[in-house]
Amino acid sequence: MINELHQKLINKEITAVELANGYLSKIQEKDKEINAFISLADKETILKQAEQVDEKIEKGKEINILEGIPFAAKDNMLALGTKTTAGSKILENYESIFDATVIQKLRNQGAILLGKTNMDEFAMGSSTENSAFFTTKNPCDLERVPGGSSGGSAAAVKSEMAPFALGSDTGGSIRQPASFCGVVGFKPSYGAVSRYGLVAMASSLDVISPLTRTAEDAEIVFKSIAGKDPMDSTSLDLPLFSEEIQNTQFRIQNTVFGVPKEYFGPGLDETVKKHLEETIKKIESQGAQIKEVSLKMSPYALPCYYIIMPAEVSANLARFDGIRYGSILKSQPSVANLRDIYFKSRGKGFGAEVRRRLVLGTYVLSSGYYDAYYKKAQQVRRLITEDFNKVFQEVDFLLTPTSPTLPFKIGEKVDNLLAMYLSDIFTVGANISGVPAISLPCAKSENNLPIGLQIIGPYLSDYSLLKAAKSIEDIIG
Amino acid sequence: MYNMDSEEINHLLELARIELSSQEKEKISRDLEKILDYVRQLQEVDTSGVEPMTGGTIIENVYREDEVNEQRQCSKDKLKNSAFDTKGDYFKIPPVF
Repeated sequence: MINELHQKLINKEITAVELANGYLSKIQEKDKEINAFISLADKETILKQAEQVDEKIEKGKEINILEGIPFAAKDNMLALGTKTTAGSKILENYESIFDATVIQKLRNQGAILLGKTNMDEFAMGSSTENSAFFTTKNPCDLERVPGGSSGGSAAAVKSEMAPFALGSDTGGSIRQPASFCGVVGFKPSYGAVSRYGLVAMASSLDVISPLTRTAEDAEIVFKSIAGKDPMDSTSLDLPLFSEEIQNTQFRIQNTVFGVPKEYFGPGLDETVKKHLEETIKKIESQGAQIKEVSLKMSPYALPCYYIIMPAEVSANLARFDGIRYGSILKSQPSVANLRDIYFKSRGKGFGAEVRRRLVLGTYVLSSGYYDAYYKKAQQVRRLITEDFNKVFQEVDFLLTPTSPTLPFKIGEKVDNLLAMYLSDIFTVGANISGVPAISLPCAKSENNLPIGLQIIGPYLSDYSLLKAAKSIEDIIG
Repeated sequence: MYNMDSEEINHLLELARIELSSQEKEKISRDLEKILDYVRQLQEVDTSGVEPMTGGTIIENVYREDEVNEQRQCSKDKLKNSAFDTKGDYFKIPPVF
């Protein structure tokens, strides 16, 4: 899709201003219903950027593939000229003070930020129902959630309010909403994309990447945001070793896909299972080798995640002291001392799910419990990672469902914590072990709800994984 | 079933610097019990001799010069705008005690 828009721009079938205006009117028309955006960028700035691209084209200058292409970003990425709320009341008044590296890179390449998308508060949730502001609706069925936490980004791409949108994924927050909305969601290897300027949730798990309409688009955007950044010491340079991969042809006939049996057991919705099995058969019929494998540690990935993630959350969110990131108490003269600011800002500013994870993280890190919970989880984390490493000696990629269920109804799981947490059961493993994974829409249920196929690759195999995804996308049709 | 009593939840909320109503405290205690019961299944995994995996990265010891990068500097005014209160170029807070 991005390439098509790019061709239209350089062939002068459409101007960048028309393109930007087109998306802005789509947003105006549709977002009343969908609620994907928390805020929009300044219209004049958007159109000015587009005009500059048009001038370049007019002068016969070459333009970058993303030049003049509008996009949206999840509201946990800093972007000058916008607020960054992370879906939280505590950041309601927080103006971005710089551009996140991903935003800066996209802007440098001429992409145009349309606005910031809704999300579960601090990226904690699987439905956007934990947003302090409103719930985004699934464009495929307005009574259902779009998934989360990057639900606003997924819904924006699905309803054509943006050709692509950035999301962040800590336990499945890009892939699960992509699956629920019927778009592509890519989670790269840990460190492949700089996290500088992302409101941190769990720093050893967080990654940024795009939600797109096609795997090719995911590749285009990923390429433009990936790479080492001096501002994020965990970031890596992938392109160095990608050139070799870029030049090798991907052949599905030479590829072995593992199907981990633990991902197809109880807890997987029958409809999802049936369609996944059909998709896998289709891939096999094209000459790929399908092999049943076992990831014995996978049942422990989610409980492991619910110790490591809240531990990191409790440390990362300590910075929200009510003093430095926009105050929500400004109009309340009743604050007597410093302690009061902390307790009142955090008590009022954080929603229920964030508070739960903060206290849970405090608990697992507190003295007397550290070894039993946090250290144990870190040991299990190693075993889960070794499990993945071992299976990738046998197979090239894994094929699994992205979500155990179809998109659920708004309100259906808000009172059932663990049921909501189980939404991530098939996606957290990739975050725990740092490996890349992508969700592709592969089928639709009888009531027209999208179903996602997850392809997981070995650590740092991002570019090969994207090639495999493009090939599988063609097979699914 | 794990049981989180009021003393324990008060201690945790004190550490996490969160003020809650008694009703909210009751709710969060019950929720935490459920989650702790769920994550406790990790205890059945044999982890003897397993080195904890302490982060997500293979990178170790990244150094850079501690220099001001003017291109990535954020404006003083923007920083001040996000403050609770300011006095001149300083953040102003109520008394510590």
